Amino acid sequence: MMHRIRLGVAGRTIAVLVVLGLAIFPVYWMFVTALSSDEELFSSSSVNILPNFSRFGVFAAALADGQVVTWLLNSLIVAAGTTVLSIGLGIPLGYALSRFTFRGKAAVGLALLFTQMLPEALLVVPLFAMFRRFDLLNSLHGLILADTAFALPVVSLILKGAIDGVPRDLDEAARVDGSRPPTVLARIILPLIAPAIAAAAVIAFFSAWNEYVFAVTFVFDKPLQPASVGVAGFIGEQDTSIQSIMAVGLLFTLPAVAFYLFAQRYVVSGMTAGAVKG
Amino acid sequence: MGAGTLAGCSSEPQGSSATPQQATITFAASTLGDPGRGPGLQKLIDEYNSSQHVVTVQPASVPYPTFGQTVLTQMGGGEGPDLVRFDMPEFSTAASSGLLEPLDDKIDAQKLKLIPGPDKYLTVDEHRYGVIFENSNYGMFYNKDLIPQAPKTFEEFVQTAKNTTKGDVYGLAFRQTQAEEAGVWQDIFNYVLGFGGDWSDGGKLTIDSPKVIEGLKAYQQLYDANVIPKGADAATFRKMFANGKVGMELNNGGYVTATKSANANLNFSVARIPFPEKKQGALLAPITINANSKHKDAALDFINWLLKPDQQVKLQEVLGASSVATPTERSAESLQKFPFLPVLDELTESGVPQIVKGFGPQTADIRHIVVSQVLAALQGQQDMATAMEKAQKQAEELVGR
Repeated sequence: MMHRIRLGVAGRTIAVLVVLGLAIFPVYWMFVTALSSDEELFSSSSVNILPNFSRFGVFAAALADGQVVTWLLNSLIVAAGTTVLSIGLGIPLGYALSRFTFRGKAAVGLALLFTQMLPEALLVVPLFAMFRRFDLLNSLHGLILADTAFALPVVSLILKGAIDGVPRDLDEAARVDGSRPPTVLARIILPLIAPAIAAAAVIAFFSAWNEYVFAVTFVFDKPLQPASVGVAGFIGEQDTSIQSIMAVGLLFTLPAVAFYLFAQRYVVSGMTAGAVKG
Repeated sequence: MGAGTLAGCSSEPQGSSATPQQATITFAASTLGDPGRGPGLQKLIDEYNSSQHVVTVQPASVPYPTFGQTVLTQMGGGEGPDLVRFDMPEFSTAASSGLLEPLDDKIDAQKLKLIPGPDKYLTVDEHRYGVIFENSNYGMFYNKDLIPQAPKTFEEFVQTAKNTTKGDVYGLAFRQTQAEEAGVWQDIFNYVLGFGGDWSDGGKLTIDSPKVIEGLKAYQQLYDANVIPKGADAATFRKMFANGKVGMELNNGGYVTATKSANANLNFSVARIPFPEKKQGALLAPITINANSKHKDAALDFINWLLKPDQQVKLQEVLGASSVATPTERSAESLQKFPFLPVLDELTESGVPQIVKGFGPQTADIRHIVVSQVLAALQGQQDMATAMEKAQKQAEELVGR
């Protein structure tokens, strides 16, 4: 019996390690590639599994002129701004869709789904014209607005689902005690859907962090560009430094991974919020 | 600003009478993002900036992978960089859409002695919209340590590619993924022209003509022969070439500097592409002024400065084995460093810009149709003749003929 339990534990441990390895390996491989010479990269006779720390200067070179740090800060501002705005607007929208009956409610829901079916490339031209008119081009707040427009439908639908899962009896009890809808939302519902808010925040953050099409088209000045555009700038017409791309790419992924690790304990429970009613 | 300072800006013979006002303008060129050529071009821009105190040129940061699409979107929306170095398909689209400033009364081709061959492609609807920034002919780059004798015929080319492919070394490399659509177009252009085909006769599309199909079948033959690193993008296989892992590739003269910069010790040379017809693609890249620019005179001043003989020589040195707008002589130093330069220069007479003759503005859309069908054929979903029949039909619907 004990033998069987030990085998079970060993099997699970191995499975976890394999899955963990699969998840971490791409990032590790980026690191190894960044520290490899051209010769090592293209030699099939000597595959480099271990990083060559003597070439660590590639990271120092990438950070040397301060551009990468500026790009990362810009990305952080855009992603954080998009997250805050999406959640701030998504909560009342999700609440309204979940709890109120109003004319055109079904159409609003459909419209939110419809926006998710349109590729960014299709919207970039009309949005550009609109942003130009409102003087929103070449600014981080303009980018935050554009990214929010894309993140908000997903965020509000996630939050609607989560609010649907909160028993209406709680709302009614609070109403009987004299609370108005904003108070019910703030004091009763929000604490209960906190995990779903965390999940939606992660989605909004990642969507803005990785966004490229709006960023490359709407922002002209290099000091205002986010890291997604900065990394693409390392790909030249005739020549590309693979090591530099990997080094900067790695630096680009780390803040996003850090944010995910911070929020992941909420995400897991948040993903199932709203799945079961009552 | 005093006249003395303005005199530093480019002067009379180019035909522009306007004096630039104090301005900072932006210049978008994918060359600026090249690790090999970017610093050289930046140095040249810095030289212009320090030569006077009226106009300041700043590089516009537009990454190469989405360069054309991004700049066209910005220009279509009434913005965009003041100066743009375009590739021909995007140039044709921009010019025919009224996004570029006409330069008819601002550029005197005869006075400037612009090289007429490539220059004639810069006129759209009888108006000039640019000046050649770079004219780069396509040749066969080969590693002399792997391939001591360059192949002279297509059969030898195939055989050499097969013989060189061993272990982690490939005989040849070319682009073959949809992600590199523009690059695939450049690559297949050489095969189509080299086998006597063309995408149109100037008035009618000829995408499904026997000669076009023959050229594309030759391209497919090499793909099927497993002599290329399949899936590798240009950035990767160019690094492989620079590191002796690829024997041959068809590329433009602009690549010479990048190769040398990636590996100064690489023993390589360039020869004419060994296909039946002596015709090959040419990468023409004009410098243009954005019609939305608020500082057109300042932008023109930079162009005029760039067209001066001294600057043309410097620009050519930066660009490697490319030609520039006016005739320049290769320095003894350059010829010693790259003895094959005359081979590339001689190709100008047989160079064809990578646009569909008579359908310049629609080239980017036709390119998408053709490349999608060619790649579907490479992946075995259809034969090449069927692929081109489909492409012809779709392209005809697109252009309405």
